[in-house]
Amino acid sequence: MTAMIEVTGLTKRYRDRVAVDDLTFSVPEGEILGFLGPNGAGKSTTMKILTGYLPATSGTVKVAGFDVFEEPYEVKRRIGYLPETPPLYPEMTVKAYLRFVASIKGVRRGQMATELERVAHATGVAEVMERLIQNLSKGYRQRVGIAQALLGNPPVLILDEPTEGLDPSQRAEVRQLIKGLAGQHTVILSTHLLSEVTVTCERVLIINQGRMVAFDEIRNLAHALGQGDQTSLEDIFLKLTAAA
Amino acid sequence: MRNALAIARKELGIYFSTPWAYVVFTAMLGISSFFFVNLLATFKEVQGLARVYGWARLPPEYGQFKNLTDGIVVQLWDVIGVVTLFVAPFLSMRLFAEEKRNRTFELLMTAPVRPWEIVLGKYLGGVGVIWATLGLTIIFPLTLSLFGSSESGTALEWSTVALGFAGLLLWGATCLGVGMFVSALTESQMLAAFLTFAILLPWMLLRGLAQSAEEPWRSIANHLSFSSQLSTLSRGVLDLKALVFFFSVILFSLLLTHRTVEAQRWA
Repeated sequence: MTAMIEVTGLTKRYRDRVAVDDLTFSVPEGEILGFLGPNGAGKSTTMKILTGYLPATSGTVKVAGFDVFEEPYEVKRRIGYLPETPPLYPEMTVKAYLRFVASIKGVRRGQMATELERVAHATGVAEVMERLIQNLSKGYRQRVGIAQALLGNPPVLILDEPTEGLDPSQRAEVRQLIKGLAGQHTVILSTHLLSEVTVTCERVLIINQGRMVAFDEIRNLAHALGQGDQTSLEDIFLKLTAAA
Repeated sequence: MRNALAIARKELGIYFSTPWAYVVFTAMLGISSFFFVNLLATFKEVQGLARVYGWARLPPEYGQFKNLTDGIVVQLWDVIGVVTLFVAPFLSMRLFAEEKRNRTFELLMTAPVRPWEIVLGKYLGGVGVIWATLGLTIIFPLTLSLFGSSESGTALEWSTVALGFAGLLLWGATCLGVGMFVSALTESQMLAAFLTFAILLPWMLLRGLAQSAEEPWRSIANHLSFSSQLSTLSRGVLDLKALVFFFSVILFSLLLTHRTVEAQRWA
């Protein structure tokens, strides 16, 4: 079975530096992959390329069999994306905003109401639907951002730091939400919180300075480094990213 | 097309739920009212003089004040055309610049929406607002027709007035097209407004600048000047040349905007 997401030799070069260097990995359908790396490692850049926002310098990215550069439209129809900064219109109400995003994602008018209700309840923003986005707290804004990514029930979800700005109980809720998506959806999520990765993800990809330094199940990583089963992900992470 | 309409609806919603559009409406009505009252006063004065001395004895340029249409409405349309030039950049500046500021450009570019749908949707939203602004000025000819009268027929020559107004709508759509393109070039709304203004104003004044030039530059500048093309329409003359001119500018602006948006894919 072909993987849902296939990245081969992905490179993104800017004039004076390399943001992503020869990245190769694949994500089978229904898996949740954790993207880890220090700040500036290239996680967000990779995600922007996966979703078709930025072009790669070289390499290929295939989502559900479609090449992102050749057939971007097909890829975008199948992806729900939460960028680093939630893409919100401050002057709109939550409801109007979600309705807008739903319509540009192709949600039919007949299903609009049920779809809005579904994502609102899933992300806990049902009670702020009528409020202006500019008046919401950071936590609510983040959750509206997650809600828009879920609209249309896309098979692939790319979430850049989904629990950013949330308090611990909200983080737990979002973690549960993401875990519940496994099997039905293929998810790539990036985060700084290693604890989060251990709870939600099966496999982990650690990236440092644009280069992939680890891509495996957490358990196997510990063994590969010659450490015991009890090694925390934090130790693994620090060890692998210390080299640079 | 559905996506373009959804985007247009969103733009209109945002325009009308924030103060900016209403500031523009107020400015338009305020300035045009001022000129309307002045024109009305001049009209009454000239009419008064004509009653005393007779039309034949008055200087020829006073001839336009013989009827309400030429004396007030046509000149008012000219003034409103200038006001539109000043006002349009403030409406168009946010079309793309704000998306980049809000980081919502990423949303539009990663959704299954084609660039032309984004450009068309935003353009339609912008044109909706500027036509609403211009629509407010219909109150002036309406007032004249209610309270005015003429020697024969209706108080106003409606075909002239309507054509002039249609010319204004076309002009507004043109200004907005140029403004939208400039907005797509920058993240700063103020810069977008300023640049739009810097493009529209000299273009409008080209005819004046042409006076001191030599042929063939003078003819070229004359024909390309916004004011030349607009004046035929505001006088109620259906000049095909002018229509083609404005539609070409609009089309060109839309194409350039589309290119700019598409360029993101090749960044």
